[in-house]
Amino acid sequence: MDVFGSFALLLAFICAVYAFVGGIFAIRTRHPLLVKSVRQAGMATCGLIFIATFSLVYLFFSDSYWVAYVVAHSNRDLSTFYKVAALWSGQEGSLLFWSFLLAIYVFSALFAYRNKNGELMPYVGVVLAGVQIFFLTLNNFVASPFKVLATPGANGALDIFTRADGNGLNPLLQYPEMVIHPPNLYSGYTGFTIPFAFALGALLARYPGEKWIHLTRKWTMIAWCFQTAGVLLGAHWAYAVLGWGGYWGWDPVENASLLPWLTGTAFLHSVMMQEKRGMMKVWNVWLVFLTFMLCILGTTLTRSGIVSSVHAFAQSSIGNWFVGFLALILVVCFVAYVKNRDYLKSENHLDSIISRESSFLFNNLILLVSCIAVLSGTLFPVFSEWLSGSRISVGAPFFNKVNIPLGFLLLFLTGVGPLLAWRKTSKDSLKRNFGRPLVFSVIAGAIAFALGLREFYSLICLTLCLFVVSTILIEFYRGAKVVRSRSGASFAASAVDLTMRNTRRYGGYVVHMGMVLIFVGLAGAAFNKDVQKEMQIGSTLQIGPYNLLLQSFESKPEKNYTAERMVVEVMRDNKPLMMLYPERRFFQTNEQSGTMVAIYSTLQHDLYVVYAGQSPDNQTPVVHAYLNPLVKWIWFGGVIVVLGTIVTLLPNRRSVLALSGAQEPAAAHPMTPTLAPSSITMREGHD
Amino acid sequence: MIRSHRLVAFFFCMAGIVAFSLPAVAQVDRARQIGGKFMCMCGCNQVLTQCNHVGCTTSTAMLKELDQSVARGDSEDVITQGFVQEFGTKVYAEPPKSGLSLVAWVLPSVYLLIGTVLVVFIISRWRSRVLGEPATAGGASGFSAEELERARRRVARDTED
Repeated sequence: MDVFGSFALLLAFICAVYAFVGGIFAIRTRHPLLVKSVRQAGMATCGLIFIATFSLVYLFFSDSYWVAYVVAHSNRDLSTFYKVAALWSGQEGSLLFWSFLLAIYVFSALFAYRNKNGELMPYVGVVLAGVQIFFLTLNNFVASPFKVLATPGANGALDIFTRADGNGLNPLLQYPEMVIHPPNLYSGYTGFTIPFAFALGALLARYPGEKWIHLTRKWTMIAWCFQTAGVLLGAHWAYAVLGWGGYWGWDPVENASLLPWLTGTAFLHSVMMQEKRGMMKVWNVWLVFLTFMLCILGTTLTRSGIVSSVHAFAQSSIGNWFVGFLALILVVCFVAYVKNRDYLKSENHLDSIISRESSFLFNNLILLVSCIAVLSGTLFPVFSEWLSGSRISVGAPFFNKVNIPLGFLLLFLTGVGPLLAWRKTSKDSLKRNFGRPLVFSVIAGAIAFALGLREFYSLICLTLCLFVVSTILIEFYRGAKVVRSRSGASFAASAVDLTMRNTRRYGGYVVHMGMVLIFVGLAGAAFNKDVQKEMQIGSTLQIGPYNLLLQSFESKPEKNYTAERMVVEVMRDNKPLMMLYPERRFFQTNEQSGTMVAIYSTLQHDLYVVYAGQSPDNQTPVVHAYLNPLVKWIWFGGVIVVLGTIVTLLPNRRSVLALSGAQEPAAAHPMTPTLAPSSITMREGHD
Repeated sequence: MIRSHRLVAFFFCMAGIVAFSLPAVAQVDRARQIGGKFMCMCGCNQVLTQCNHVGCTTSTAMLKELDQSVARGDSEDVITQGFVQEFGTKVYAEPPKSGLSLVAWVLPSVYLLIGTVLVVFIISRWRSRVLGEPATAGGASGFSAEELERARRRVARDTED
């Protein structure tokens, strides 16, 4: 199966080269058969990558311990669940997994547009094939996952040998979230290839209008959704597995996942200016280019060893390939832009500073500044070493100080932006839309201050969150009220109806609401508490309202590891509340250990209990307990963001009815432009 | 009388316990506060007080050294110098605000400043374009201000979503 996989990868590489070279000829000659043949070669490339990937998965499941990658990342006792995760747990497999996910996107795009956009698709196909060639080069010639264990034999030939068992999977990766976090994050990274290919293709083809933006909106939303989910799942994994009580440590690899998310978010906002007003064309094209390049940069940081991180793969020379690829992309994008920049001239102008357009500009400014600040902070240790010879670390305190104020500005714009009108917002509109939310949030902030909330950042965050929530709720309320007055349905049903009539706009509000919840959760970090204590059986530890009683401590052998487990009874007001089982697992195969944190999570706070090992002095078990307020809001907010993104991807109800030929009842047409308040006028296909 | 003496004695005992334990609590807080400014040197890329690696000898030794320095009453500067001498500048959790490291602090503000200037420039350029166009000159087109405002509201309504 290893030979089969290798062969499939090699064939995929050849097909990708044909799709690339043939694609260039197809663009020049416009020969229909060649165009078709090139497209089919692109699809065949994807099919062959699927085969290679499944071959590697099969090698894991069949315990093929003559394949070096399988030996390094699996063992016989590893559960089936984690044998799947082993696919992306190392350099070679994760690169194949990257190619696999990219192939899914490429195949979907080529298939979806096989009979559409005949002018544009050959260019897109060439760009996609170019990207695939790079990753297939790595898969085939630089980091093949199908290498076998071999020693030089007596006659000079290599003798393949088989190991009895593998080294096992890194304990940190033996956690359910590691089975879904990397696929999500990688789906985000690879997903941005599609908007990149369309943007570059459209630029090269001088494709007219905003067509490429319309074509790629859903692809971008999907990639962004995966990226968001991936980042949050990674944060949750860090929280639940690493056992340091936090979820975001501004580690270089964490930062690498945030960078394309920031530019991708900026793009999703600024793209509306191009759709609505024909503005920011140059900016949007470069934002997509930048987002894709940051995806590549992110994986470069993870794989090259340029920056030190617990999440990074082992240091290797593969980083040079990525740096070269990045340079090539930059040159191609720059040349394409210089040659075709006339096509990107803006059609419209700004009527007023107080307008939706301005808010988007500032939104983009904040996101980009945050992105560049995080990037320069991440790379500063490297630059400082180059310049002065000594490496200066840039840790979490720096990133927090820089990004928290930027986050607040962004939060403020989240509330303000959607309520500003395109072109110009009148004073009346400003008063009508912002008066109540502003007064409400300021009063609520004052009450919180009076009640003892003195933490400056938390107070500001709370006030801004309330401001944004109230602006969003008022928007829903106004819209639902009009729908209700026409349809007579309940308020909740009217709100749903309203959302389904303009999924993009109201889905966007749901996303914003999710972001607010995440900010609320982040604000809680200012009030974290922790206590560490050596505990005898029967002794207690007090943290916040909880009293932890150590009932027992045991060492128990399991199939793949030995667990040291504490049995802790949690009491509140002297009443038993629940049992927690923090443990540490020692994996014999690779002599590594991992933490299993016990968390009792409520909306108010998380009781986070870590078994921190035994005291070196007297072998007494040590407990490290944390009380982390509002953490659950972050995960809940993440779910809302993902749901909101899914809503934005749904077709508007009116579109569905139009497509199906159904007649919408008259009562369900509540919003004729003359009756609807300006802020809730509905149009399809726009935010 | 005896009871009141006992109460006084109890009070002094408690005051003594508090007086003895307060410096210890203050020391722990101070050590934690200073420890938050250093990185653990085990390669975990975490702040010293947050490293929880199983059997991490590096953070244990560093924290022990920190506790001893704090117990001796060393100033933060002295403690910092000691750590920098031992581990180099990479021990800082955040770059010091001097020398080359100052660049790291200044850059985000510079980005924001340049970006803001750029956005303001773009907005003013777009505005000047529209002001220069004859189509927007109400008087010349013969529309009254009221008519223009009505039309503007209609356009806003049509374009807003």
